[in-house]
Parts: sequence; structure tokens; C-alpha cells
Amino acid sequence: MEKFSYIGKDMKRIDTASKSTGEALFAADLALPRMLVGKILRSPHAHARIVAIDASRAEKLPGVKAVLTARDTCGDKWGVFKYTQDQQFLPTEKVRYVGEEVAAVAAVDEDTALEALSLIDVAYEPLPAVFTIEDALSPGAPQLHDVYPNNINIHVHINVGDVEKGFAGSHLVREDTFAAPEDSYFQGEPYAVAAQFDHAGNLEIWMPNAGPHLKSKPLSNVLKIPLNKVRVRKITIGGAFGGRSEISPADVICAFLAKKTQRPVKIVYTREENTVCTRQAHSMIARIKTGVDREGRVVARDITCHMDGGAYSSTGPIATSVPFLCMEQAYRMENVRYNGYRVLTNKPIRGMFRTHGRAFACGVDIQLDRLGEALGIDPLTMRLRNARQTGDTTPTKSYVASCGLTETIEKTAKRSRWAEKFGKLPPYHGIGIGCNSVQTGFPMGIRGGSQAFIKLNEDGGVTVITGIVDNGQGNDHMIVQIAAEELGLTPDDIQLITADTEVTPSDPGSYSMCETFIGGNAVRLAAQDVKKKLFRIVAEEFGVGEEDLSAKNRKIFVTKNPEQSISITKAVRMALTRNESISGEGSYWPNVDWKREWVKNPYGQLSETFSFGTVICEVKVDPETGQVEVLEVTASQDVGYALNPKVIEGQFEGGVAMGGQGGMLTEYLQWHEGRVLTPTQLGYLVPLAIDMPKINDIIVETIDPKGPYGAKEAGMSVAMSAAQAYCGAISNAVGIYFHEYPITPDKILKAIEEKKKGDRKE
Amino acid sequence: MSEMKKTAITLNVNNETHDIIAYPNKTLLEALRDDLRLTGTKESCGEGVCGSCTVLLDGAPVRSCLTLAVAVQGKKITTIEGLRVGEKLHPVQEAFVNHHAIQCGFCSPGMILTAYALLKENPTPTETEIRRAISGNICRCTGYAKIVEAIKSLAEEGK
Amino acid sequence: MRLPPFQFLEPTNVEEALSMMNARKETLKIMAGGTDLLNRMRFRLIEPAFVMNIGKLRDVDGIDIGENETVIGTNTKLKDIARSPLINNKFRAIAEAAFEAASPAVTNMATIGGNILQDTRCLYYNQSGMVLNGLERCHKRGGTICLAVKGGKRCFSVCQSDMAPALIAFDAKCVLQKKGSTRTVALTELFTGNGVTPFAIGADELLTKIIIPQPKNGVGSAYRKLRLRGSVDYPLASAAAFVSVTKDGEVNACRVVLGSAGASPRVIDGRSCETHLESIAQKAYDSAEGIDNLQMPGAYRRKMAGVLAKRAIKAAMDRLKEGM
Ligand SMILES: Cc1cc2nc3c(=O)[nH]c(=O)nc-3n(C[C@@H](O)[C@@H](O)[C@H](O)COP(=O)(O)OP(=O)(O)OC[C@H]3O[C@@H](n4cnc5c(N)ncnc54)[C@H](O)[C@@H]3O)c2cc1C
Ligand code: FES
Ligand code: FES
Repeated sequence: MEKFSYIGKDMKRIDTASKSTGEALFAADLALPRMLVGKILRSPHAHARIVAIDASRAEKLPGVKAVLTARDTCGDKWGVFKYTQDQQFLPTEKVRYVGEEVAAVAAVDEDTALEALSLIDVAYEPLPAVFTIEDALSPGAPQLHDVYPNNINIHVHINVGDVEKGFAGSHLVREDTFAAPEDSYFQGEPYAVAAQFDHAGNLEIWMPNAGPHLKSKPLSNVLKIPLNKVRVRKITIGGAFGGRSEISPADVICAFLAKKTQRPVKIVYTREENTVCTRQAHSMIARIKTGVDREGRVVARDITCHMDGGAYSSTGPIATSVPFLCMEQAYRMENVRYNGYRVLTNKPIRGMFRTHGRAFACGVDIQLDRLGEALGIDPLTMRLRNARQTGDTTPTKSYVASCGLTETIEKTAKRSRWAEKFGKLPPYHGIGIGCNSVQTGFPMGIRGGSQAFIKLNEDGGVTVITGIVDNGQGNDHMIVQIAAEELGLTPDDIQLITADTEVTPSDPGSYSMCETFIGGNAVRLAAQDVKKKLFRIVAEEFGVGEEDLSAKNRKIFVTKNPEQSISITKAVRMALTRNESISGEGSYWPNVDWKREWVKNPYGQLSETFSFGTVICEVKVDPETGQVEVLEVTASQDVGYALNPKVIEGQFEGGVAMGGQGGMLTEYLQWHEGRVLTPTQLGYLVPLAIDMPKINDIIVETIDPKGPYGAKEAGMSVAMSAAQAYCGAISNAVGIYFHEYPITPDKILKAIEEKKKGDRKE
Repeated sequence: MSEMKKTAITLNVNNETHDIIAYPNKTLLEALRDDLRLTGTKESCGEGVCGSCTVLLDGAPVRSCLTLAVAVQGKKITTIEGLRVGEKLHPVQEAFVNHHAIQCGFCSPGMILTAYALLKENPTPTETEIRRAISGNICRCTGYAKIVEAIKSLAEEGK
Repeated sequence: MRLPPFQFLEPTNVEEALSMMNARKETLKIMAGGTDLLNRMRFRLIEPAFVMNIGKLRDVDGIDIGENETVIGTNTKLKDIARSPLINNKFRAIAEAAFEAASPAVTNMATIGGNILQDTRCLYYNQSGMVLNGLERCHKRGGTICLAVKGGKRCFSVCQSDMAPALIAFDAKCVLQKKGSTRTVALTELFTGNGVTPFAIGADELLTKIIIPQPKNGVGSAYRKLRLRGSVDYPLASAAAFVSVTKDGEVNACRVVLGSAGASPRVIDGRSCETHLESIAQKAYDSAEGIDNLQMPGAYRRKMAGVLAKRAIKAAMDRLKEGM
């Protein structure tokens, strides 16, 4: 008999049929009786004092049901951490970026709401603003917040080993600077939120989120109502990619409008608002110095990274750390120093993004290529020599329980025929490689663990109740697979109640790649709890030990004698007549170092396990236009264990599109004095079907000792290593190493011209 | 606003006739979503780029966000809700589900209708033809590989 | 994003349309496919009191290939032009331009007339209030400054039509009708070169047809377009090339028309039958305006005008040789 019925199989996702028919509801699709339209007035200034707000004309407009200003929200501040509470839901004193929320209205229809916005008079006193990291740091620069001197919001300092000694002992040392402007999440679904209060003062609210519990707590704080009155409901979510994890001012505004009007209110963002007023990814400048020995092994590394964080902290401490942490996980480095500075500017707020900083990851990899070239070692060998291994401990003291990085490198190289290609391709053809690693969760205080409940119906079917959220990646299906497997049921027998703060227990949320590892483990434990209870009854009935039983195909049977069996329905009925509880509970608390803190103590076990990925990319460059044609991409990741291989492939392919094709070729935000000039889908160029190359997917399994069935995480390290591989391939094709991203055709052409003129020697 | 008059608009959607009273500045997208509550048609860009709002107008895929509801009276409009036959998914929907062509699902209704129209017109498209046909439909999640596979599977059946 | 309010008109024949236009002049805007007009309205760049849909007009749709000239009705969809075997055969550059314009679904809606008469574009103009609120008004928004060119005394917005350069390469003309009169002008004359008011067409004038003269003897043509993605996007630079020969096979006309090079298509007329590629590239470079007001840097786009001009001419020459 096969080991698993559902785990490891290519299964149709349970959620996609309803998405194929238009039945699945997203937040913007909700319509409730008497629902009003909410709209937000936004700052036209990058930095200005709010002198006065007069909403009287708007309030008088027929059809306007409420106008909301900072008076209503009491100027409450919010922050992910105690030390980053710096953003007011509606600012009382000043605005800090173009697009910041200033006031809001609820009206009977959109036209009325828009007209009402135009009738709110806000008197501003413009203040000098800063738009670049350099300007923000320069002496005498305008300051955004009193509490962050010199506009330095966060400083993460990590120092391990003896870096100076390491450089002194290195055979070769290089120092380079890498830079990239902001990228954008560009989720398919623009942000939307709907809210209503009932007569008892309970809030019901729907919005795309990466964890309902991350939303409910700040809502409870600002509305000053207990958590049990905040019901963040499940809704289909049109992508997150690291965003949508925090509370959004729109959530709070919508809730307040609903409260004020005692009617349901819905706010739907325009594409422009989604780009500007949710989160963006940081722009950054990374200075990287690396020393290697004769064989290309890294001896010492010193990285200083400045990240433009925009106007507020957001997830700043995490975002400032993760680019470094990914690389310290991927590559061995003993003596290492990291100084990450998150700098505040009068630009929209930046959060955590799936690719965590192109300048950083590509910088580390391109520099490795350059060092290798000087030593006569090819990029592949450089990576193999520096690759993280199982059993290692990272510089910041995380034990790596399973690591298939070397295997991903080797398999990707073989599939892409690296050896036949590197250095042997015709002019303007190139091949490049990138490696990366991500976490499966972080120490997240009391919300760091996940819990799950399972309820049985009298016919043996079950309902799984968990806080796990599905942003589109297929988490709901993962829950069903695990529950069906453990309980010996079919996916049809499983119903889900997920991501609803009224019903579902605590869960960290999906934004730190931990849902499979932490949430999946909790579901598995809950299912095992149920199974144990049923087995106890059946074992008694059969006169065998509980350990002699198995469950499969809706039956519980004696493992050695499958003929001796009983249907699960029957077992449940037996339990019910005996008045025995058969609901199950599971809780998983990852083994991380809870004393680890992003700024104060960045050492200790960060995450229980890590995923590792390698991408190799082959390109052709048009030397007259600088345009890149991507010929083939091979992506591979150590996912621990592939619970549903097709889902994982889908994550790889999406990762290549976002990190590589988009991230390295076309995606970036353009600016004019703090205004995003490319907020639309005509301006911000997300790759199209016609642009995408052939992608080969290779799944590597290391069976993590703690992951559910050995699984870790799917797709994140591919998104990042794709960027690095594209970068390496273009550099290889042109014969110039690129340090600024994305590598648009104008940059390529310039490099080619300079190389021809001999201005640029590499 | 005072000068703009509401008018009666008759729309033939999924073989049903609907009458709505609306201002002429209502787009077909708004009429479908807000008046007819056919929310399978999505808005992602609102400017004709992304294809989330795709509907079929007399069989041809168009952008409902750039179409005025008043201007399409008398035409046959098909939305994603009109594809399915009874309890069963349409083969295009089925192929998308089977081939993992759907992740978050926001682009899926538009993508499926575009694929449907392509296959109607050309039952055996090549991969290049498929990629070109869906190039006005942006998907942020999938990298398109599985979407192309899904459509290809039907193209092969069409052979 | 909501459209601003307007009153809707829907004439069913040209005469009726002309009367409506005559009565309402500047307060009325014509909607053909609507793909350009509605986007500008949504951003509230224009808020016409009347929108007149010409989609129901008979007689201004379709391709009529005659012996001496080919007539394309203004309402003809780009999709139909791209697919027309006859256009592909005789006017290759025009078919290519239609094929490359926007994305397939947009070309199901977009008309040739609307394509020619689509407004000029600029990163500092085609924006919602999110960008424009609080910004000083530029020339095109009735102000006195240019946000793209510091100190710019005029508007540098760009004609990004794909069809116009290709049609001009074939010396196309257009028919403009208003109540009581009709005029036929060369397509080049429709463009003013002024970014604020890019078209020399009266508010009461309706474009009804585009006429392409039948070239004599052998012709080769091609259209080349630069964009960062393989579909959807407007051209960042483009070039249409037209080469014709005498009966004896001698080149007697060689023309390159640049798109996205300024507020109007730029014609480089090689009257001397110049087909030297590098010199055409140089002329294209000299002629193109390279302003930082679209996606890529102006300097780069200007260089690309040269590269595309060269490539288009080369393709046209090759086709001529192949007898296409
Ligand atoms: C996503 C997207 C991508 C695009 N990409 C491209 C591209 O790559 N290349 C390109 O060339 N274009 C592109 N466009 C612009 C697109 O709008 C045009 O290609 C299209 O052809 C315009 O035609 P229409 O019928 O929709 O014009 P409309 O929007 O109806 O009209 C455009 C203008 O012309 C006027 N007009 C129309 N017909 C007449 C007439 N008969 N007489 C007088 N005035 C008239 C209108 O009043 C209006 O001012 C794109 C548009 C979108 C939405
Ligand atoms: S919403 Fe209509 S094309 Fe994007
Ligand atoms: S599946 Fe998410 S946008 Fe396509």
C-alpha cells in the first residue's frame, strides 16, 4: 500500500473551482443591505503641517452620511513594535507623503462620496521634504519624526567573528555598491475593505489580509473594544506577496465610518491607491565588501545597507534584517558585519516584499561572480564552495536542521547544461546563477504559534478550524490534504473554517512563509488528536492496541489485517453514544529563540527551518537596443517535502515572473518629488504571458525533521534567486557586471557602448 | 451632475434581459458588478490593461471597464457566470482547475473568458498564439506557465 | 475609477452625427472605441458635457480595396486591419502596426480613427489626481510650465499612435466632414506638432475615412516598434518604412516615419532615394525628440528611433526584393 493517500500527490486545489466561475467573493464583491461607499481624502503634499480641516461643506452635501477626521480616531498611533508606534491612522499634526490619509467620507454612492471629498477644505502649511536616502541623511535635512534623529528609523547591527582579521587574512577582497529603486507588490486585487457594526457593538470586517489576527488586535486597540467584538472574516484574497500583513488605515477608517453611520461601509481602492497607499518595497543602496581565500571561500564580509523606508516604520525592523538574514542562511560566512539602516523619507510606506531587496541579493551574488572571475573559478563552483550545509549554524546562531542547497545547485546546473554553456556561449548570450534562502517564520511573541480544532460530524465528515490564511498560494488546500491524510478521509469529507477571528484560534499569518510549517503542523496534530480518540474506541472494540490501527479510505482498520475494519462513520457514532469527546485540538509552537529581537538582540534561533533555492537563467541580449530575451529558466528549491508538487511548481513559476522577469527587467517605480509617476499597470510593468520564458521546475526534498511530513516552504527562495540568476545571466551576456537594478535596456546599451569605447573595463 | 439624466438601459447578459436605470457614465463593468451583482467580472486596473474585467461582446473579448453600459444595448454580453452549464464547469474552467492555472483567482474570470474566445475562434492554437492571445490579461501569481498548459490541453483536444 | 458625468448621444447616421456636433462644438467629444477617450475622462483630464458614440454609424466601418486607392472607414477595428489578408499583402507596415498596437483585446475595441486622433501623452499628464493634485498645471493642463523639461516653453507630449506613422508612410489622406462640407487632407496635415492641441481638426469635424493611394510598381514596407513588454504597451519609439521602385526596379521613394518622437509623427523623406542605412539612422536620431516624459530615458528613446528606422528600412528593402 502506498504510504500516503493525498500527501505528495498532484491534487486539484479545493478552492479553485469557485474561483473559475466567479463565485468566489473578494472584499470588493461584498454587498450588504444599506451599504455605503467610503472614500479617503489624501494628502497632495509630501510634507506639510495640517493647519485646519473644515468638513462642514461636505457634511451638508445630500447623500453624505459621515465625514471622518482625526478628531474621530483620537490621533491614535500604531506600530508593529512598541518602539515603532509612529503612524496615526489619521494624522493630527502633519502629513508625510503624497497619498497619506487625511479624512474620509461615507456616502450613498461613489459620485456623492467623490464630490464630498472635494468639499473638504484642508489648510496645509507645506514643509521642506526629503526624497532620497542621501538627502534624508544630510546634515540639516528636514526631519520626519521627532523620535528618529537624522531620519534614521532603524539600525540593525550584527557583528560576528573578527571581520578585520578576516579581511587581512583574505587572498582577495572586493568592495562594491549596488542599488535599486522601489518595486511594488502589484497584487491582482486592489485593496478593499468592508465593515459593519451590529446593535451589540460587534465589528464585522472583511479585507485581504495575511493574517486576520494581525488585523484584529490593532482594531480592538483603536476602537477600544475587546478582541471578541472584532470579527475579521474570511474572504478570498487576491495576492499578498509579503504585503497586507499590517493594519491599514483604510481598515480603521472603514470601521469608524461604519460605527458612525451604523451602516455597512465599503472602501475599494483604485489601482493607484493600491500602489501608493498600501505598501511598497524598499529602495536600497548596499555596500558589500567580501574577502575570499584562494579557493573562493568567503572569509569575511562587511555589508552596509541603506533602505528607503518612506514615511513610517511599518515592519521596518524585520524588513531591515531579512535581506541580510536570507543571504547569511544561503551562504557560509564566518566573520561578518552587517549595518542595516532604514531611513525615513517623504515617500509612501515600505514593507516586507517577497524578493527582499534586489540590490542586496544580486549584490552578494554578482560580487561572488566577480571574485570568482578574478580567481579563475566559475560561478557554479563559487556557489558550491560557499553553500550552506545541513547541521551548520548561521552567523546569527540559527541551527540549520536540513539544507538541500548543494543539491539544488547541482540539479539546476545539470538540467540547464551549465557546464556546456558557461563561457562557451556565442556573443551576447549569457548564463547566470543565483542562490537564496528564506525562513519559515520568525519569533513573533504570543502570536508565534498556531492552533487548530477539528470537529466531527456524525457521518464522519469533519470541519477543520484554523487561523491559517490563504492569500492565493493554496494554503486552504494544504489544510485539507493534511487533515484528509491523517484522518483517513477524502478531501470531500473536510470542510474548512479559516482565518476568522471570531472562530479560529491564534495563528501567525501567512506573511513569514510559516503557514505550512507552523499552521500545517498544528492541523496535523489536531487530526492526530481526533484519530487517537477514535482509535481508542476502535481498539477496544477490536481488542487490539491503538498502535495496531490505521485509517484510510474512510475506514479504521488493523494495519496488519486490513480486512478487520470499521467505517469512520461507525466509529464516530460509537463515540457519540458513549458520550466521548471526539473533537481534536492541535497546537504548534516553533522551536525558536524567543529572546531574539530584530534590533536589540539579533542572535539566536530565528526560525525552525529554512528553505533553499537555486535558479539558472539563460539570456540573449540585442546589442543594438539592449533588450533582453530570456531563453530558459531552471528553478529549483529545497521545499523539505512537496505536499502538492503542482502547487509548488506554480509558486516557482510565479516567483520567476516576479523576481526575475519583472524584478530584473521591467519593474520599478518612477518618481517626481515624492509622487509615483508609474502607479498604474501601464506604468509599472508586470510581465505578460508573451514575455515569459520556458521554466523548468525541479523540486528538491530534504524531509525536514520537524516540518509536517518534512515540508518547509514553497517558492520564496526561487523568487529571490531568480533575480540573482537573471542579473548574472545579463552580466555574463554583456561582459559587464551590473550593479544597478532593474537592468533596463538603456542601462545595457550604455554598458555595451562604454565597453566598446573602453571606458568600462571589467 | 444635475444635467446628467438617468436612462433606462437594457442589457442582454448571459441570455437574460436586464433593465437598469443608470446615468450614462456607468461603465459596463459597474453595471455588471453593482446593478446585476455579477461580481465575477473584476476590476484590477480600470484602464484597459489587465483584462480582469474581460467580458464577451457578441463573442469577442472586450474590456468592460472601458465600455459604457448604454453603448452595448442590443449586444450579447457573456460574463464568467454565463460559461458554466448547469452544475458542470465549462471545459475551459475545468482545464484551469485541473492544471493549477488558478492561484489567487483574481485574474481567472477574465483569463478564462479570453481563453474561451480564443478556442472558439481557433480550436488548435499554437503556444505562441495562446501566449499572444492572453497577453492582455495580467496574472501576478502564476507566471502563466500553468495557464498556458491548461489552454494547450484543450487545444490538443481540439485537434 | 468613476467617469465624470456627461450626457450621452448616439447618432445612427453621419448626417445626424454632424448636426449634433455642429450644435455642441467643443462641449462634445466623440467616442469611437473609447479606449483613449474614457481613460482621459476617468483621470478627469477632460470632462466633456456630451459624449457622442459613433459606434452605430453605418458606412464608416470596413476596408474597401479599390484599384487606385484603398479606403478604410474610421470605425474599422484594429483587429480587422491586422487580420485583413489584403492589407497584409499590400500595406504590410499598416497591418504590422495594427497587430502590434496595444493588446489583442484592446484591438477588438480600438478603431483606426480613434488611434490616429488619440491624444498625445506624457508621464506628467496622463495621471490621476493622486499624482496631479498639488502639482503645478503644465501647458497641456492650461498652465504655463512643463514638468518634463525644466523651463520648457511648450508642451513636449508625445504622439504614441502606432497607426499614424504607418499610414503616413503610405502617404495616406483622410476625409473630414462637417455639417455642409467635406475636405480631404494629407494625414500629415492633421497633426499640428503642438502638444497642447495636437490635431488640426475642428470640434465640429468628423473623421470618416482614411484613404491610402495604391502605390505603383513594387513596394516594400515595414513597421518596427519598441516597448518593454511584448504586448499591451504603447510604443516608446517606432518607425514605419516605405520603399518603392520604378518599373525598372530603381528606388524612387524611400520614406521613414517615426512614431513616439514628438507631438506628431516625424517624416524623413528620402527624396534622393537614399537607402543608406546608417545615414537614415542618423537622420532619425536627429529628428526624434528625446524627452524624459515616457517610460525610458529620452536619450535612449532617441537612439532607438535611429535603430528602428534602420531596421524598418532594411525589412522593407528585403520585402521589396522578395516581391512582397
Ligand atoms: C491598455 C492600452 C494600451 C494601448 N496601447 C496602444 C498602443 O500600443 N499603440 C497605440 O497606438 N495605441 C494604444 N492605445 C491607445 C488606444 O486607445 C488606441 O490604440 C485606439 O486605437 C483608439 O481608438 P478608439 O476607437 O478606442 O478611440 P477613442 O478613445 O474612441 O477616441 C480617441 C480620440 O479620437 C477622437 N475620435 C475618434 N474617432 C473620431 C472620428 N471619427 N472623428 C473625430 N474624432 C474622433 C475621440 O474624440 C478621442 O479624442 C492603448 C490603449 C490602451 C487602453
Ligand atoms: S480592469 Fe479593465 S482591463 Fe483592467
Ligand atoms: S492567479 Fe492571482 S493574479 Fe492570476
